[in-house]
Amino acid sequence: MVLLEHRGGVAVVTLSRPEKRNALTPAMLTDLALAVQSLREAAPGTEHARALVIQGEGPVFCAGFDLSMCRDDPGAIGAMLTGLSKAGRAVRRLPMPVICAAGGGAIAGGCALAASCDILVTDPGAKLGYPVVRLGVSPAVSGPMLAAQIGAGRARERMLDPETIGGEEALRIGLAHHLAPDADAVKALAMEIAQAMAAKPPHALAATKRWLNELDGSDRDNRHAGALGASLALAGGDEEQERLAAIWRKG
Amino acid sequence: MGAELATLSIDNGVATLTLNRPDARNAMSPPLLDALHARVDELAKAREARAVVITGAGKSFCAGMDLKAVLDEPGAPARLLQSIGELTLKVRALPMPTIARVNGAAIGGGCGLACVCDLGVTHDDSKMGYPEVDLGVCPAVVAPWLVKKIGAGQARRVLLEGGTMSGRRAWELGLVTECVSADKLDETVAAIAERIASGGRKALAATKGWLNELDGSLDAAMVRRGAMISAEVVGSDEAQRTLRAKFAGR
Repeated sequence: MVLLEHRGGVAVVTLSRPEKRNALTPAMLTDLALAVQSLREAAPGTEHARALVIQGEGPVFCAGFDLSMCRDDPGAIGAMLTGLSKAGRAVRRLPMPVICAAGGGAIAGGCALAASCDILVTDPGAKLGYPVVRLGVSPAVSGPMLAAQIGAGRARERMLDPETIGGEEALRIGLAHHLAPDADAVKALAMEIAQAMAAKPPHALAATKRWLNELDGSDRDNRHAGALGASLALAGGDEEQERLAAIWRKG
Repeated sequence: MGAELATLSIDNGVATLTLNRPDARNAMSPPLLDALHARVDELAKAREARAVVITGAGKSFCAGMDLKAVLDEPGAPARLLQSIGELTLKVRALPMPTIARVNGAAIGGGCGLACVCDLGVTHDDSKMGYPEVDLGVCPAVVAPWLVKKIGAGQARRVLLEGGTMSGRRAWELGLVTECVSADKLDETVAAIAERIASGGRKALAATKGWLNELDGSLDAAMVRRGAMISAEVVGSDEAQRTLRAKFAGR
């Protein structure tokens, strides 16, 4: 459900579960982290990948965690939060630019994943955000990346307000960096940007990305551990269980 | 001694610091940087100046580090980067507000000098940006100022995508505070400088000092580490190859 391919100097990781809008499972998050890690071992400066595109199959990038996993396994949400934190950090530490083709939607865990990329491409009709406090779930795990991308003030609003935002607003607040007309064009534009970056000297890019990670603190383990801890503290708790159960009842 | 590479004049509370190497688009060579350091040291003690305008003579603001001048001299690129880092720290620490008058291209280290100023004014036809990665070099030394000015997320995009942008786009990103048509640049800068210089010297210094403290601008270690990282990358085979190919192609 996570595919890795190489197109010239660009690696492409595709979340491939289109019938579920690429909803994430613990296994997908593990595979994603492994795929990203495998690029790290080859990078940088060789004839291997010099840029990475992360995309979703079909019209929607990623609908977030597959919450149906939690129905039979109360531990699933903890596993997904931990997997998301790991995958996001692997993306951030990958010493090459990572471009997210977040067309259609990047919801909750999907938005967190998109925010850990360097460059985010989306479309005006996309929905982005963290509509999860309604479910008793805390998006705190995404805090360090989101705050690095859009500033702490805006991150506060986006994580506490369960309303999603459209592509234009995402561009305005700096969550997105480029807009394409629709989800297909998003993938093409992300690839175009990745190819342009892959043509640049890779050591300079890697050094610049490492330094930016240090300047904005987005690779600091203690920050991520704290953020993950805040989300995990609620996992399996009463409020979350009741609110998730209410979804199952509604069917 | 020939014409001064950096000139300073003070008129009615407003100081103007001019990079004066127009035939080289005001590229920062070691002598130009030495001259800038000397002028900024003078400014730090110039009690009559309540605002500073920094600008370039001729058509450009500043084309950035003059790497061509130092590429063959061992250790020289590192010294140049260190000097740029120290210069930006000095400009930031000046007690009076600084206004970049971005009269034309502000590229790489030149964009860094514009960015470290408290305010910036440019025009629609200017060009700004950080194309360092395109040349195999790393903008680490000036990155801290960009992160403080436009936020880390936008800085990431600007520095990793490289290239340059229009003055208008720079204004949209918050890299400069005003963008006007080219014929309005002088009057706009004059009006802002005059407005700022109408403030009390102590009030301006206290406010700027507190803003510097709030955003960590006085953390010299960060800029110095950035200079070291930039120097390491300039010394790499990749950078040497890319730069030499670029200079040979000119």
